[in-house]
Parts: sequence; structure tokens; C-alpha cells
Amino acid sequence: MPGKVAMTIHPHILKIINERCHKKILITGTNGKTTTNNLLNFIFRREFRSVLSNLRGANMPQGLVSAFLHHRKKEYDWGIFEVDEGSFERVTEYVKPDYVLVTNFFRDQLDRYGEIEKAFQDILEALEPLETTLILNADDPLVSNFRKLNKKNIYYGVNRNQYSTSQQGIVESRFCPACSSYLEYSYYNYGQLGGYKCPDCGFENPPYDYNIAEINYKDHQYHFQFKKRGDNTSQEISFDYEGIYNAYNCCAALSTSLEIGIPLDKVAQSIEEFEYHLGRMENFQFPDKIVKIALVKNPIGLSETISSISLDDRPKSMLFVLNDNPADGRDVSWIWDAEVEKTLNIKHIKQIFCSGRRAEDMALRLKYAGIPVDMIEVDDNMDQAIGKVLKEEVEIVYILPTYTAVFQARELVLARLEGTGKKMSHFREYLKNLKFPGR
Amino acid sequence: MELKIYHMYPDLLNLYGDLGNVTCLRQRCLWRGIKVKVVGFSMNQEAPLRDGDLFFIGGGSDRGQNIVYSHLLKYRKEMEYLIEDGAPVLAICGGYQLLGEKYIDADGNDVPGLGIFDYHTKSEEGRLIGNIIIKNSLGIAPETILGFENHGGRTYHDHEPLGTVIVGHGNNGKDQQEGMVYQNCIGTYLHGPLLPKNPHLADHLILKALERKYGVKKLSSLSDQEEYSAHNKVLQLYLP
Repeated sequence: MPGKVAMTIHPHILKIINERCHKKILITGTNGKTTTNNLLNFIFRREFRSVLSNLRGANMPQGLVSAFLHHRKKEYDWGIFEVDEGSFERVTEYVKPDYVLVTNFFRDQLDRYGEIEKAFQDILEALEPLETTLILNADDPLVSNFRKLNKKNIYYGVNRNQYSTSQQGIVESRFCPACSSYLEYSYYNYGQLGGYKCPDCGFENPPYDYNIAEINYKDHQYHFQFKKRGDNTSQEISFDYEGIYNAYNCCAALSTSLEIGIPLDKVAQSIEEFEYHLGRMENFQFPDKIVKIALVKNPIGLSETISSISLDDRPKSMLFVLNDNPADGRDVSWIWDAEVEKTLNIKHIKQIFCSGRRAEDMALRLKYAGIPVDMIEVDDNMDQAIGKVLKEEVEIVYILPTYTAVFQARELVLARLEGTGKKMSHFREYLKNLKFPGR
Repeated sequence: MELKIYHMYPDLLNLYGDLGNVTCLRQRCLWRGIKVKVVGFSMNQEAPLRDGDLFFIGGGSDRGQNIVYSHLLKYRKEMEYLIEDGAPVLAICGGYQLLGEKYIDADGNDVPGLGIFDYHTKSEEGRLIGNIIIKNSLGIAPETILGFENHGGRTYHDHEPLGTVIVGHGNNGKDQQEGMVYQNCIGTYLHGPLLPKNPHLADHLILKALERKYGVKKLSSLSDQEEYSAHNKVLQLYLP
């Protein structure tokens, strides 16, 4: 890709990016980087003349450089970049952020990072010398532990709500990051994100500067009650994309936008009008059904996606696409850490297809989750598998691909959408510019 | 018939799909009409262990492993008795290292293990990562056992290995050996998780548990089409 070539010729090209962007935001963490980055861009582009960003999820240094080479303006009001946890140090060597937003730490691609504690430590060391404001997810004990750097901290989070649980199957960090005792949780929202307190040293969620107080689901849409510290009123915001994780993504984008001074009503309006085009719960309208593509790439994401699908009671079929290319992680064992058993809670499900390089592993996972084997069909050819699932007589089809399959899956779905004779959508432009993102 | 499976430290040793091994053992028993009780054993949920029929110990982060090492020392005698008595134990990665004498970390410090076996594990430069295929020495068919390995530690020993490496690194990346077998105790670096894609190994452990408890000599067979499709796909993708 062009970024890689440019970096070979000019290894300090990141420094140029740093100089040309007046202000910079870096987004890091495990889940939600790409969605939050796209949300922030959508909001910022309505307020500022020029924003430079790596919107397609290519988040290693060469990904940032590729985004820059694509436009190459003399100056930008804002540079907003998502940065892979493993690249954070290399990026901040050159790019000096005004704000760093940290979403969460989940287990993801351990074959690359080893352990999440290490990801935390690496980012901590990179942050230490920077003069930057931290925008932190208060509900993740590992993220809120960045408070020990004593920088200016802005905290966001999601209160206990009707989707909170008192039990959680996958919890990455059960121990107090400050003193290693067992953390006590009053509720969980999403993995280890929730209300925590250490009985020994008192480490607990810092008070929110911005928070989502309530969540309701109606007409296939989420409605959030958003609050700002010191303001007794709340703003209702609707969001067209499922999943509690999106409450966190919205809250992160809202907090950052308000922090830099964009008025709440404008931010709220942008969020409501936001449309996503990158296979993160993207919707495609076929004449006889809706197709939704949702990227799944780690245990918590897969568990939460399955949970959110179980809220949908329309007749449906599903297609999992599991790849083990380097960018997906060579190791597919993560599917066993996800609560695939929750698939049993999905109503009106007709057939489940499995495709990708490791289709058979996914089928096996479903079998051991208790799904009857005659409901599971394996076809490692993704094009054929998509053809089959689209022929299903259902109202909605969910396609759940891993990272390297998501772009191909949406291309194949689009090609079929075009074939139906329906007007080609605005995705054309996206497709033309689509390059395979490296990680 | 009923088996009690002890899942050791499910909250601390739970990396890389380890839970899938317990899910697999439970399902394969249930499909055969064998009752199963899975008991989690951890710091706040201690138990006598002696009444267990099958033991699973997974791998963990360095931090999790250190906590476990010092805690499980209290149960060394029970574990040693169970292993000598022929109870099946499956210990993966950190769990495997834990059964040896010590772990020598990257800074050269000794972290004592249970010392049930006389081997040690040494942290060396670079991690051994990737798909791994071995030829098993248990005499079970098919000959291949496969999984994914991801370890910084190298284990050196003269015990019977679980198998010889066809693709991958194994115990230390040098002697082409992978894992360890003593009685019905198996230590290995293979996760993935190990058992679902290797149903012959899962059944080996279940049979040994039933043999010890009820004198059972043979298991009823299951339709393992999905299991061997996944097994064979790995062979197809990764055998040279």
C-alpha cells in the first residue's frame, strides 16, 4: 500500500502529518476505534473545514500515512486517527496529540500482543511524556487506571440500565489494577465494563463528566439519555446501530465533541444522521429482505453481536465468515472464549451458514454450543455461501465476518444488490476507493 | 454414571479458548448419557480435589500464573496422589509448566512450580507461535493431534512426550518433542482449544476417567463429522 512505500522512502513522514494538523485526537483501545473515529469525523466535518483521518480501520503507522497521501493538504484543522494498541508508541513518537481517547481493553489477537496488561503498559509508557488530555472510559478498570498518570482526565461511561447484568461470562480483568485484589462489580454492561469497586483499596469508577443514563430499544433503534456533569437535564439521542457497545462509542464521540466546544444539539443531530458504510452493522435493503453486516473479531464483540441479534424477532438466517489470515489473527481459538451459546436465544432462526478459511471451526463451535447440526451448513466459498444465505426465505440476514472477510463480504453483497436491478447506492464511491487495509 | 470435572482456576487460567476444552468434555459425556458435574476451583472456591474424576488446568497471563503458583502449592499432595492414582489431568501451557519444578522468568528469577515432575521451563527470547500438528504417542487414532501454540517458555524434559512435532515448535523448538505424558496426566502447549478438534484425545481422557471410576473399557461412538472436518481442514491448510 502507498503508506508503506512512503514510509520506506521517508520514515519521518508522520512528523509532517503532525505539523500539518493544527490539533490532533488519537483513538486507541481494543473495540470501537473505527466506529468512534467515523462518528467523530461525521461530527467534526460539519464544524471544521478540513479533517484528516484514517476512516477505514487501517490503524498502523502506514495506515495513517496512506490516509494523508490520499489528500495531501497543506493544513488541516483536525487530525483524528485511530491507532492500533501495538503501534501507539511508534505513532506518538511523531504525532503529538491534544487528546487521547481510550475505549477499552479486551482480549484481541493475543498472538500479536501476548496479554492485555502488556497493551496497557505500552500505552502508559507512551502517554507519560505527552502533554495531552485523556478521554477515558470510566467503566473499564484498566482504562480508568490511566488516571495514575495525573494528566487532565475526562471520564465517560454508561450507567446501569435495563441491559446491564449481574453476571458476566467473559471478564478480562477481575483484579484491581491498583492492588490486585478481586474487584467487586455491582453491574456489568459489556465484558468488564460496568460498576466496579475494590474492597481493599477503594479503586472504583471515577465520577462521569459525560454519561449515558438510560438506554431503550424500540423500532429497531436504540435511544440513549445523555447527560453532562453539572447539567440536570438530559438529551435523548437515537442511534440506528445495535449493541450496547455502540452506547459507549456514541458516548465517547459525544464527550470528545463537547469537550472541544461543539454544542450538544449539533452533536446529537450529527449522531442521529450518521450512516455507516464499513461493515460495522451496515444495512443493505434488498427487495425481499434486509442484509446486515457486522464485523466480529474478538470474543466480546462476537458475544455482544449475538446478544443484540437476539433482540430482533424477525425470521432470519445467519452467515459466519471466519478467516485466519494474519490481520484476523492466525489463532481462531477466540471463538471458544465467546458466548456462542447465546445463539440459542435468537428467535426465528432458520439456517446458519459458515464460511471462510476456517468455516469448519465455526461450525464445530456452534455444534458444541448446542445448535442442531442440521441447522448448520458449511461452504468455504464465501461467494457461494452469500448466494445461499440470500436465497433464504427470511426477513433479515445477518452476516458476521472477521476482519479480512468484511470488505469482501460487503463487495459480494453489493454486487448482488446491483444485480437485482435496484438503483446502485452511494456505496459505489466507497468501493472505488476501497483498498485492502493492512494491520 | 457421573463424572466430576474440576476446572482449575477458570478465572485466572483462561487464555486462548481454554474453556472450549471443558465444554467439549462435558458435551461428549452428555451426548453419551453420562452425567457431568463441572466444578470451578479457585482462590475463593477451594475444594477437596480428591473426589474429582477429571482435571483441567489451562494457561494464563504471567500475572494470573503467579497468583495460581503460590496458591496451588497447598494442594500439591492431592495433585500428586491423583496423578499417581491414574486420574486423567489435562494441563495446557501455563498449567503444564506449573506441574514441573520451576519456571525461570525473563529476568532469571525462579518461580517454583508444584514439582510433581522434574522438568523446568525457561523463558527464552521470542515466542513460539503458530499452528502445530503432532504425531501422538498415546497410540490413539488418528495419529495427528493439532492445535495452536503461543508460548515464551521452553520446557525441557526426558519424560514420554505427548507426540513428535510435524509442523510447529513444541516443548522448546529444538528437540521436535511436544508435551508430556505420565500415567493419564497430559501436559501440552496445544490450545486452540485442543479437545474439540481432537475428539479422539477428548474420548481418551473420558475413557480413562470412566475406567478408573467404573471399570469401563470402551466408549460408545459419536458422529464426529464436524470434529474431523475441522481437524482435516487444519491438516489441509497447514501440512507441508
